Amino acid sequence: MNLKVSHKEVPEFDVTAQDAIMDAFIEAIIIMDTDGSIERFNKAAENMFGYKANEAIGLDISILMPDPDGANHGRYVDRYLATREARIIGIGREMTARRKDGTMFPMHLAVGEVGWHGKVSFIGLIRDLTDDKLAEERRLRQATDMIAASRLATMGEMAAAIAHEINQPLAAIATYASAAERLLNAGPENTGDVKGALASVKAQAHRAGEIIRKLRSFVKPEVASLEVKDLQSVIEDIRSLAELDARANNIQLSIDVANNLPEIIADGVQIQQVILNLLRNGIDAMLDCDPDDRRLELHGYIASPDEVRVDVIDRGHGIPQSVRDSVFNPFFTTKTSGMGMGLAISQTIVKSHGGKLGFEDNPGGGTTFYVTLPTKVA
Amino acid sequence: MTDRQESVLIVDDDAAVRDSLSLLLKSVGIQSRAFSSGGEFLDAYQAEWAGCILLDIRMPGMSGMEVQRRLVERDCTLPIIFITGHGDIPMAVEAMHLGAHDFVQKPFHDQELLDRIQAALSANREQQDDIDLKRNVKERYETLTPREAEVMSAVVKGHANKVIAMDLDLSQRTVEIHRARVMEKMQVRSLAELVKLSVLLDS
Repeated sequence: MNLKVSHKEVPEFDVTAQDAIMDAFIEAIIIMDTDGSIERFNKAAENMFGYKANEAIGLDISILMPDPDGANHGRYVDRYLATREARIIGIGREMTARRKDGTMFPMHLAVGEVGWHGKVSFIGLIRDLTDDKLAEERRLRQATDMIAASRLATMGEMAAAIAHEINQPLAAIATYASAAERLLNAGPENTGDVKGALASVKAQAHRAGEIIRKLRSFVKPEVASLEVKDLQSVIEDIRSLAELDARANNIQLSIDVANNLPEIIADGVQIQQVILNLLRNGIDAMLDCDPDDRRLELHGYIASPDEVRVDVIDRGHGIPQSVRDSVFNPFFTTKTSGMGMGLAISQTIVKSHGGKLGFEDNPGGGTTFYVTLPTKVA
Repeated sequence: MTDRQESVLIVDDDAAVRDSLSLLLKSVGIQSRAFSSGGEFLDAYQAEWAGCILLDIRMPGMSGMEVQRRLVERDCTLPIIFITGHGDIPMAVEAMHLGAHDFVQKPFHDQELLDRIQAALSANREQQDDIDLKRNVKERYETLTPREAEVMSAVVKGHANKVIAMDLDLSQRTVEIHRARVMEKMQVRSLAELVKLSVLLDS
């Protein structure tokens, strides 16, 4: 077999053709020399960074990166040239980029080494990750919402289970006691049965005590993971969940939290639990109101130099005088399906943060529940 | 009337609740039997049992409502009192719609519970009496000859002897004799009583 290998000449692209190809890329392409001086800058790079190619060419590559990457860039290149040890070349990584106007954006940067007119150059391909990052944040936020929602659901379910559990020994105790009473009244011949009943009463009382111990450890929030938090972002993270709940119940919800609130030290998830619970109560309070009056408001603001405050304002029927002292008691509820644990647990949480949970009547009807939280001592 | 041993059938997964209820019933002289699950109760259940069922609505495994459904399938007529806890009211209401006799909430008020049990027991007794009476009347009816049965059905429709005689092609005297035999065999003294029994037979 006669194998004839023909070497076909690859036509050289002239500079104009190269420019055309580079400009067709969606990704920014930047070529620089070993000193970090920009040699080529395509259309996409112009759009992404805000520099015109003729402005950028000749400038140092570090202008496109915030410090410390920008300041260190020269050293990175020198190290590579000296050691041939690739930190980024051929690997690519996510970094922050700086536009001409100083704003930042997340980018993915891939770097290759090219022979360019007989000398070594580096070619960088850059993808703008802004949209990807936004999508990721959204996913994260939704996940947080789900966690908060499921914690609330678990709280309700656990409370229901505990209520059922505690009812069992109580029912047995009451029944044993009345049986013993009747047996005693019937005559002395029943002493054996009465003794048995009393022993059972004792055992069942201990059983009830055991359940209450479990309940205590449940109501007492687990060791809070306290962090420096900004109330606005804590509330922002549950906004979509709260809005969903409000929409589902035909309620107009407005959430308005002041900017630049002083930071608090808090377990963000617990505070979210409290606020979601207050919003939930507000929604429940207005379910039988005229649809036009179903307005729920949340305001977050500075109450005093060392306190931030959240008000949850409903336009419901208010809290009747007769139950005002009971609303924070465990198992107190005015709802047909509630367990009466929401406000009790919320109060425990707020107190453990050194804050206060309370309520007051609105002048125009309805109730405002408020949470105050101490601000971080500077 | 048959005399059957009546007892309260307790179905609850909680041993202490079962035991305390048995003792309470014992203290007022009511017999009881306890079962720790719906399955155990259904396995043991006999159609001739009399009394009432105290049935926990919330049990692991087979729920009280499921036990009720299966008892209905087996034509069980024992009154069911559901034992309910916090938050079970909607379920209890549904159970009532499905024919439950009553429901009580845990923890129990002893007198209230006993009153309700007594009410269920007497409802079952009345029901049982009805069933017994019906069976008894049916037995009496079956002693009638075909001709006597024909006469009875005409009599309870309010037809006069003369009309009956003509309809059945008998002499008026013969109708009178049949009629007297019907009254005797059905053990009644008046037409009104006979009509009542005939209504019972048709029901």
